[in-house]
Amino acid sequence: MKKGTVEMNKLLNGLDRRSVLKGMGGMGLAAAGASFLGLPGNASAAESLNYMCWEGYNAPSILDPFQADKDVTIAIDLITDSAGGFAKLAAGASRDFDLVSSDSPWIQRMGPAGFCRFIDDADFAEQYADFYPQFAAPFEPLQFEGKATGLPTRWGWVGPTVNTKFDTLEAWSSYAPVFDSAYKDKICLLDWGDWPIMPLALYAGVNPYEELDEAALGEVRKVLRAAFKNTRAIVGDLAIAQKGLLDGSFRALIGGGTYCTSSLRLKGHDYIQSIVPEPKDGLKQGIIWMEATGLIDNGKNSAVAAEFLKYIVSPEVAKQLAITEATCNLVPNAKAEALFSEEEKKALQMDYMWTAWENSQFHTVAPNIDDMLAIWQEELAAR
Amino acid sequence: MKSQSKTWNDPILVAAVAPLAIVMLVFFLIPLAMTILLTFQTTQYYRLQWTWDLKIWTEIFSKPHYWTIMLRTVGMALVCVVISILIAFPTAYALTTRLKTYSAQIQILIIFAFLTDAVLKTFGWILVLDRQGVANWLLSYLGLGPEAMDILFTPTGTMIGMVYNLAVYPMFTIYLSLARIDRDLVLASYDAGASRIRTFFEVTLPLSRPGLYSGAVLVFVLSLGAFLEPKVLGGGTSPLASELIRQSFETRVNWPLGAALTIVLIAIGALTLALAAAFVFRRTPAARRELA
Repeated sequence: MKKGTVEMNKLLNGLDRRSVLKGMGGMGLAAAGASFLGLPGNASAAESLNYMCWEGYNAPSILDPFQADKDVTIAIDLITDSAGGFAKLAAGASRDFDLVSSDSPWIQRMGPAGFCRFIDDADFAEQYADFYPQFAAPFEPLQFEGKATGLPTRWGWVGPTVNTKFDTLEAWSSYAPVFDSAYKDKICLLDWGDWPIMPLALYAGVNPYEELDEAALGEVRKVLRAAFKNTRAIVGDLAIAQKGLLDGSFRALIGGGTYCTSSLRLKGHDYIQSIVPEPKDGLKQGIIWMEATGLIDNGKNSAVAAEFLKYIVSPEVAKQLAITEATCNLVPNAKAEALFSEEEKKALQMDYMWTAWENSQFHTVAPNIDDMLAIWQEELAAR
Repeated sequence: MKSQSKTWNDPILVAAVAPLAIVMLVFFLIPLAMTILLTFQTTQYYRLQWTWDLKIWTEIFSKPHYWTIMLRTVGMALVCVVISILIAFPTAYALTTRLKTYSAQIQILIIFAFLTDAVLKTFGWILVLDRQGVANWLLSYLGLGPEAMDILFTPTGTMIGMVYNLAVYPMFTIYLSLARIDRDLVLASYDAGASRIRTFFEVTLPLSRPGLYSGAVLVFVLSLGAFLEPKVLGGGTSPLASELIRQSFETRVNWPLGAALTIVLIAIGALTLALAAAFVFRRTPAARRELA
């Protein structure tokens, strides 16, 4: 018998069930006590950051090198809803967080709302220099009265997502098929907050990013009602939507765009494409969505958090942020483009991205968004 | 009255009750009170404003779609209770009678299914109910043509998921009630000349009522909060209260509205249970006699 095994046996013989349970109980209590007292898991780290973010930003391949390099521990709080994340910070959680990555309209609002630090673009000149010209400083979608809140980190567009095995892209040069009886029970709307509402409002000739009167809201109601009548399913889960699109149950997904396309394309389903319809009645029909990362104003104003902001937009990290397990998205860093393989560029539809940009509105918080969400709820209830 | 005051002066009883009372107070009554308080606040620019106002309640009572969803939720919950009981009772009955030999093995299988994550089970139904799913493949194999069944993303799909996830609760409560029935009572009924059917309705069924009722209440309460099944299998065709509440809290960031809808759902659920209890009580002579 090997020495190690003998010693193990001695050890095990000395342990009865009661002592093992006592030990486990003690360990459990110690762990519970430590978490109750708010002690960080890695007590050896010099500093800890609390980070509220969307999926992808929490990838170990992104966080681990920074944690090791800066001797910092990053605790993640994943959000599934940008508005919900905003509300959580507004309810007082901003005191507990250092960083936030969310949809850009919400990051933009966090500066004036007082729970994100405004940043000086000059401090991030080096980072801006790497960005595509479209994201150059001062980057208007993140500006409030000349002051910037955060930096852009990921982006894409919202337009029809089409399986070209079953349908042509030409058929989706407008949103008309959503209301066409030939497409009845073949359309899937993504239940992702305001994302599916905006393109349908644009198709109805209403610019949802402007102040709307009762008549305009009435048009939004009409277009949503008509879309619901023709729609097979309204789903919130990306996997269900993607499965339906792949097997042809859904001819198109509305309200998801590149967010539900690129990961499929990267897995070889390059016949799935997200496009932007042609402008209609003078209104661009596509929508550009963007995520940004901001520094939360929690009184500590951590310098390491500011370092992380520079880190997350750096070319190498931006490339990793673009290609995650769940989704693949574009990044504003032009230098990152050289790091993508040809397959990845194709998956991200990089050859189409500026066409989509040209034919799209930039997604911001619409003045009447609550009215439109209420209409969505009402029409859904009547479905 | 005298005995009550005596009881409350008993320090041992008070000490025994105190932990549970404190838990109920801290984890149920205070959060409930806070939820009620929240309904009188408003939101502005996605931030809570502590202004005492009846705006939210006015909105709830003036917009019929909230009530449409609430009533649909109660209706779906009641249907789920009926179907679950109809499935659970024969299963539990078979486990205590015909399948007694294999009862332990079958119970283990049911427990495995019960303990499997509801998310997995619900998503699994997509593979079964889909147009290209297992069910349609089977129907097609039986000669019923392609895509003979189209119930994914319908209220029926939601109901299948709800029943599948919840029927196990009454299965166990009814099984426990049936297992406790004294076999001699059944045999005495046969000796008195009653048929199997009459014995079932006059002996077995009445004695299994505690399990039946507790199972029904469990399914009803859990059905009221059904979130996953309408979201995954309903495809927006049968939005229920939980999704409405989620949308109000998360997407609309209207916490007072979400809180008010929660209170409405709790109130409707409690009222339905009270009515059901009153109905059952009126139909149970033993209970009436006990009260008299």
